Amino acid sequence: MSIFAAPLPVLPDVGDLRDRVRALVAATVPGNPAAHRANCWAVADEGFSRAAGAAGLIGMIWPERYGGHARAPLERYVVLEELLAAGAPVAAHWIADRQTGPLLLRHGTEEQKLKLLPAMARGELYACIGMSEPGAGSDLASVRTRAERTKDGWRVNGQKLWTSGAHRAHIMIALVRTDPESTRNAGLSQLLVTMDTPGITVRPVIDLTGAHDFNEVFFDDVLLPHDALIGKEGEGWKQVTAELSLERSGPERYLSSYALFVELMRWAGPEPDAAVAALIGRTAAELWTLRRMSWAVAAKLAGGEDPALEAAMVKDLGNSFEQALPPAVQALAEIDPAGAPELAAVLAQLLMVSPSFSLRGGTREILRGIIARGLGLR
Amino acid sequence: MSDNRDMVVDTAARLFAALGSDYATNIAEVEAAGLTDLLLPADDGGFGGDWGDAAAVLALAGAHAVALPLGEVMLARRLAAAGGLSLNGRLTIAGATQGRLTGDSFTGTLSQVPWGLEADAVLAEADGRLLRLAVADARAARAINPAGEPRDTLVFERAPATSASEAGLFAQGALLRVLQSAGALDAALKLSVDYVNGRQQFGRALAAFQAVQQLLSQFAVEVAAVRAAAAGACEAADAGDAAFEIGAAKLRTNIAIGVGTAAAHQVHGAIGFTQDYSLHPLTRRLWSWRSEFGNDAYWAVRLGHEITAQGADAFWPQVVARTDRLNRRAS
Repeated sequence: MSIFAAPLPVLPDVGDLRDRVRALVAATVPGNPAAHRANCWAVADEGFSRAAGAAGLIGMIWPERYGGHARAPLERYVVLEELLAAGAPVAAHWIADRQTGPLLLRHGTEEQKLKLLPAMARGELYACIGMSEPGAGSDLASVRTRAERTKDGWRVNGQKLWTSGAHRAHIMIALVRTDPESTRNAGLSQLLVTMDTPGITVRPVIDLTGAHDFNEVFFDDVLLPHDALIGKEGEGWKQVTAELSLERSGPERYLSSYALFVELMRWAGPEPDAAVAALIGRTAAELWTLRRMSWAVAAKLAGGEDPALEAAMVKDLGNSFEQALPPAVQALAEIDPAGAPELAAVLAQLLMVSPSFSLRGGTREILRGIIARGLGLR
Repeated sequence: MSDNRDMVVDTAARLFAALGSDYATNIAEVEAAGLTDLLLPADDGGFGGDWGDAAAVLALAGAHAVALPLGEVMLARRLAAAGGLSLNGRLTIAGATQGRLTGDSFTGTLSQVPWGLEADAVLAEADGRLLRLAVADARAARAINPAGEPRDTLVFERAPATSASEAGLFAQGALLRVLQSAGALDAALKLSVDYVNGRQQFGRALAAFQAVQQLLSQFAVEVAAVRAAAAGACEAADAGDAAFEIGAAKLRTNIAIGVGTAAAHQVHGAIGFTQDYSLHPLTRRLWSWRSEFGNDAYWAVRLGHEITAQGADAFWPQVVARTDRLNRRAS
């Protein structure tokens, strides 16, 4: 395996792009508390998403005729890492920008692209991903939600679960079984679902912090047009797995806890004792390494490759890093909620939400299975 | 990257695979092949390679568990040439220095000197200067690291020293260990993967057990992290300022050594614990190198203090500016 050893390709000179993103966040969400900056790609603020769209920071690499900005993929990466490091509330548009937009660009009809992509790029149209089901969590090939052909298109029945942002999304890309005779990962297809279609019910699933991100989504004789089929019938599994590298290697996999690191440094002050300095030094070293790994995957994606193995590695390592930081801070810092409220609040938030990091987007066990396959162990 | 990297790597691979057990013969062969002049500028009669070239060769040396101060000589010759110090004789570097330079006279102790007894001269840093000292002027004692590699102690009393401006010897020594470790970890991972694929227990290959798969996956991720860190540190070093990157890479490598060596031995079972099996030449070196040129605590505390001195809001802009500078240089 020579992966990750190669020098990074020459990247574009990003000019004032970083400054522009920082200025936008400072102006749009001033004084954003640390607990909201943590895990910020699960924090939705539609006002911020519209401001980001107006600033040209969504759909950056999409063609201009679809409302995009025709920028280089690595320029987009710069924008993403700056948004996350600043703790911007990007959840409303995150899925559309990262996954649904690129999927529609690849497989959508011209009409769908013209209708949906410009609104996504403006930060006004949001998407969710309907994959997991009550009987299919990590085992996605067990999907049972069914779509049958009708004269006018498709009839969908079933249920999705753990669907992040379904309550504010305008569209869903749903993984459904279109061949009733099929089993496992054959016979699955991706359908574009407009969320206000009759027969769809969205119910909140409140997480342990009291927040509403997850939903369950019920489909009860939901009728969709023929062109709801995205890509090819029966190729849903292949299409979904092709998206996974986009989903797993981005800067959100190591910057979700960045707000805690900042508040740790602030709490430490300029001359901390050796134990605190050591935690800061170690965190910095790990973060720097992860950033380079994530950049390397982004560069491969930009070059048209599908670095699925490397992406799994970035996510696994990023998750472990981000889950280790909150307990390490807790073990070291004596925290009086009244004394250092920002550190206490962000620590509490991350202690509670970080267990989800190695569950969402592929569990640690699934990822390590993928890596094991890459090593030739299975 | 220099144009001749592939050629050098081929030469090194052939040479390392054929080395015997005699130190004097081995070091002479490596010198004759020009590998110790890899980092020496062409104007000084060297290969004119960059840190990327050194990375490729030292990773191979690490993977072959080469028992030679190859990186140390490479670095010593580059630093000596840059500082206008003599290149005559066989050079090495000191892992730690205690003492004072008074005028042209040094009194103090150099320790963790790789193959110090076999060297003619040693480079060390003291009082902001890079010193060149003759080993013949020292009271010298052999010491070895857990891998059996010489890490000698040299005691000088009012010994004559030539000197030049300090040039970051310790940090670059750390980079050598990162690059060797990258190769040794990679080799230990390969050995582990091959072993679990071949070894049958309970009626199936060890590789078929999920617990084994998960452990080796974790190991592979650590190896990937070291590779990325090594490449990042080399790019920064070639750009001229790697003050942060080398420390971060050495610390990240030290951490990976802990995870990787434990996993390698665990999946090998008892055979990996034997003298005859080829795992310990790798893992004993990795355990040794983790301590050398800055252990975990050294780099973690040093980086931590450098970071907190700048303030909480400075870290992100500075860390991204350090890679953006490489792009601007390249474009």
